[in-house]
Amino acid sequence: MASLPLFSVLFTFLLSLAPAFSTNSEGNALHALRSRLSDPTNVLQSWDPTLVNPCTWFHVTCDSNNHVIRLDLGNSNISGTLGSELGELKHLQYLELYRNDITGKIPKELGNLKNLVSMDLYENRFEGEIPKSLAKLKSLRFLRLNNNKLAGSIPRELTGLSNLKVLDVSNNNLCGTIPVDGPFSTFPMESFEHNRLNGPELKGLVPYDFGC
Amino acid sequence: MGSIQMYQLVLFLSVLGAFLAVSTLGDNSAAAYWLLRVKSELIDPAGVLENWSPSSHICSWNGLTCSDDQTRILGLNLSGSGLSGSLSREFGQFTSLETLDLSSNSLTGPIPPELGRLQNLRMLLLYTNYLSGKLPAELGLLKKLQVLRVGDNMLTGEITPTIGNLTELRVLGLAYCQFNGSIPIETGNLKHLISLDLQKNSLNGLIPEEMHGCEELENFSASNNQLQGDIPSSIGMLKSLQILNLANNSLSGSIPIALSRLSNLKYLNLLGNELSGEIPSELNQLVQLEKLDLSRNNLSGTISLLNTQLKNLEALVLSNNALTGSVPSNFCLRNSNLQQLLLARNKLSDKFPLELLNCSSLQQLDLSDNRFEGELPSLLDKLENLTDLILNNNSFSGTLPPEIGNLSKLENLFLFDNMITGEIPVEIEKLQALSVIYLYDNQMSGQIPRELTNCTSLTEIDFFGNHFTGSIPATVGKLKNLLLLQLRQNYLSGPIPPSLGYCKRLQLLALADNKLSGSLPPTFRFLSELSTITLYNNSFQGPLPTSLFLLKNLKIINFSHNRFSGTIFPLSGSNALTALDLTNNSFSGPIPSMSRNLGRFRLAHNHLSGNINSIFGQLTELKFLDLSFNNLSGGLQPSQLSSCTKLEHLLLNNNKFKGTMPPWLGSFQELGELDLSSNNFYGTVPAELGNCSKLLKLSLHSNTLSGEIPPEIGNLTSLNVLTLQRNNLSGSIPSTIQQCKKLYELRLSENFFTGSIPSELGWLTELQVILDLSKNLLSGEIPSSLGNLLKLERLNLSCNQLQGEVPPSLEKLTSLHMLNLSNNHLQGQLPPTFSGFPLSSFLGNAKLCGPPLATCSESVGQVKKQLSETEVVGIIVAIVFTSTVICLLMLCIMWRIWCHWREVSISSSDGGGIEQKREDGKRVYGDKKIRRNGEYWKVNSMALVSSQDNKPNSTILARIFHLRMDSEAIETTLF
Repeated sequence: MASLPLFSVLFTFLLSLAPAFSTNSEGNALHALRSRLSDPTNVLQSWDPTLVNPCTWFHVTCDSNNHVIRLDLGNSNISGTLGSELGELKHLQYLELYRNDITGKIPKELGNLKNLVSMDLYENRFEGEIPKSLAKLKSLRFLRLNNNKLAGSIPRELTGLSNLKVLDVSNNNLCGTIPVDGPFSTFPMESFEHNRLNGPELKGLVPYDFGC
Repeated sequence: MGSIQMYQLVLFLSVLGAFLAVSTLGDNSAAAYWLLRVKSELIDPAGVLENWSPSSHICSWNGLTCSDDQTRILGLNLSGSGLSGSLSREFGQFTSLETLDLSSNSLTGPIPPELGRLQNLRMLLLYTNYLSGKLPAELGLLKKLQVLRVGDNMLTGEITPTIGNLTELRVLGLAYCQFNGSIPIETGNLKHLISLDLQKNSLNGLIPEEMHGCEELENFSASNNQLQGDIPSSIGMLKSLQILNLANNSLSGSIPIALSRLSNLKYLNLLGNELSGEIPSELNQLVQLEKLDLSRNNLSGTISLLNTQLKNLEALVLSNNALTGSVPSNFCLRNSNLQQLLLARNKLSDKFPLELLNCSSLQQLDLSDNRFEGELPSLLDKLENLTDLILNNNSFSGTLPPEIGNLSKLENLFLFDNMITGEIPVEIEKLQALSVIYLYDNQMSGQIPRELTNCTSLTEIDFFGNHFTGSIPATVGKLKNLLLLQLRQNYLSGPIPPSLGYCKRLQLLALADNKLSGSLPPTFRFLSELSTITLYNNSFQGPLPTSLFLLKNLKIINFSHNRFSGTIFPLSGSNALTALDLTNNSFSGPIPSMSRNLGRFRLAHNHLSGNINSIFGQLTELKFLDLSFNNLSGGLQPSQLSSCTKLEHLLLNNNKFKGTMPPWLGSFQELGELDLSSNNFYGTVPAELGNCSKLLKLSLHSNTLSGEIPPEIGNLTSLNVLTLQRNNLSGSIPSTIQQCKKLYELRLSENFFTGSIPSELGWLTELQVILDLSKNLLSGEIPSSLGNLLKLERLNLSCNQLQGEVPPSLEKLTSLHMLNLSNNHLQGQLPPTFSGFPLSSFLGNAKLCGPPLATCSESVGQVKKQLSETEVVGIIVAIVFTSTVICLLMLCIMWRIWCHWREVSISSSDGGGIEQKREDGKRVYGDKKIRRNGEYWKVNSMALVSSQDNKPNSTILARIFHLRMDSEAIETTLF
């Protein structure tokens, strides 16, 4: 009985050993993602956190500096939620998680992926609002969030995404009006259909979240 | 034989005697008979029961104790006798027994209910056996029982409530079994109970309030069960209680203040429950308390416990809670006994609690995983008894004070994951007991002091992720006990000191991510315990010492990204090797045969040569093989790699391999990545590759492969990337490729593909990076289905023989930012949205027109809807005529309007109002009462005129608009 506190110390010692060997933040972030996901078809089987970096994991692509630039988990039968750790993948360009059964919110930390070119989260079960932080993704060209359960209004901040070429938020539960500024002037109406949206924005006349 | 016959005889004779209890030894032979019955059910490998024989008096038998007059058996003690077998029912015959001790054997089966007949039993010890079944209710009949210990068995079921009848019971031990149900409330009847041990069962439910009836209880241990609910306040009435251990249950609520009345309590352990609320400061009244563990709960608030009150405290453990604040200012008691203070994983904040420096008896201090900040106090050396200083995962800053050298008993120093700067003080050399020093993930700089190597007790050094410069101390070899040396990710330079080879116990050496140079010292041959060595991302050079071949325990070697040269043979000596990574060095020569346990084998970007025959035949564990970017040659022989059935990555690209691609490549069921590109492979693409159903990436480009793509390619339904460009492939592109639904990159350029582009390519809707079919002999029209590739970013169909128009469906390719249709035979009008692409995207198509190419009017003759020149002239004349007429008409109308406006404005200014010219008729109307002069009519007439004119005016405008639309429509059909 007297040895119980000693056990605690021992426990601390054992805990402290683990971080001594796992040191790459991108690999840790992806491993944290894995721990959140249910993966019945074992597409994440090769994700071995003890490797120096995640560059030899399947469905992960790195550049020549061993930074993760692609995550390809579309159509992979995975479910679960995303977490803040994905924001650690600072060099990520392609986030392809489409056609799965992912639930929960889109983490606001995805706004930290400064180099992101494409965010394909379509055909999942994401809920909650589209995070405003996505407006920080100045390199973003493709944003496909269609066929989810996203609610709330389309953040006005997204009109600042000057490189955005494709946006699809159709088949969600969005409300309010559709922005008309910036790249939104070029998106077809099909990108917005099957929501609770109230047509294009009428600036000064109707608040943008009218009907929300 | 004789003795067995005699047993049978006795057995026969004593059928009647079976009803008689052997309470006295009046009939010695009857007692012997029952004892031998007991013996017959026991297995006695050690021969303890050897002298149990009818030939001697039973009182001389091993383990038996008789009364002084040898008339009654009082005790049977066979503890720790190595007995197995089961407990005989006949134990019930020995009603004179006062002590029955069969503990620490290997007995199996149930506890016989007949034990309930032993009315004189005072002590029943059956602990540490393999007894199963329930605790028989009949045990409740043992009125004189004082000690009942049956723990450490496999007993199940509920604890019988009849236990409450054992009113003489002093000790009840039921720990380490599988009892379930709740603690019977009848336990409260045990007024004389001193020790109750229920640990490590599956008990659930509440702790009964009635427990307070155990007035003399000194030890109550029920840890590691599933007890729920609050801790009953009535426990506070157990005045004699010295030990209360309820750890690892599901107890909730707050810690009852009533516990503070347990004035004799020495040990209180509530760790691993769901207790919440604050720690009651009343617990400070427990002046006898020596050990207090409240860790792993949800306790919040500040630390209110004080060593100045709990004067006998030796250990205080509050880790893993949500405690805030810091250590209270009057916490420490001078000359106290406090040895362990563990506060890890809370939300404690503020600077290092200086108050703690007064706790000079502290041996273990754990403040890890909190929010402490600021510098470490230089007076830290007041904690002269400290053996463990655990401060990791905080925000401590500043330097490591030199006074740390005065902590002469220090064994473990954990400062990792803080923001500590500055150098390691040379005074560290005084720490002669120091065993583990973890400084990783800080911002420490300067050289690693040579003095550190005087700490000869060191077993583990981890300085990963700091800013240390200079070289590794030359005297590192003095650390004879070193097991782990982790210096990764620093700015260390210079060579590895040869003395490192004298750290003969070293198991892990990690020097990666530094600026180290030079070659490996030959002394490394002494590191016979070495299991992991990682030197990647340095500037090491030169050949490897041949003697490395002697290191037989090596499991993981990573020398990648250095400038090592020479042969890799010295690394092939260990049969334990599982991972070898030598990527990006200058190794040359052939590849030797390797350990059969090898799972990862990476030799890319070297100058290795020779063929790879006879190397891989036995590598059945191989999962990852990367030999790319070398000078390897020869063909892939049959059965060469085919035993590597676990292969997941096979990368042989950028070598000089030649010959045909072997069909056995199709036998790798786990293969996810196959890259044979940039070699001299010829022949056809083996159809067997279609069996590699897990393949994600298939790169065969830049060889001289010929023939058709086998239709089996369609079986690769997981494929993401397919690159076959730069070969001599021919035939048509198989339509089965549509089954590769996950393709995001497809390159078939620079081959001799003929026929048309299969419209099925339009079903590959995940194509994203590129679809490249350029530089082939493809003909026919571009299938309009390609318009379905909504995610496609690059499309290259250039340098083919494509004909016809560019299908308008391609306008849907909104993701496209690179398009090349040049050098084909395309014709007609480009879709208007293509005007944003550069001219070069479309050049070399003689009959193609529209922006960015020249407008189509120049090639009007070729347009389907041809119009004769006279018709064109006629249309133009008509347009000019009608627009002139309209212009004139409008001018006329405007002139008239302007005239009337002038009149109105003059008249209204006459009326004294500062009316604006654009006042509408209504407004003017409304003013009529004020204006009584003649202007009123004029205004009205003007309004009338304008309202009459309004309609025709608008229709004219509408007509003009329509006309312009018409002319536009004509233009669009023209060009």
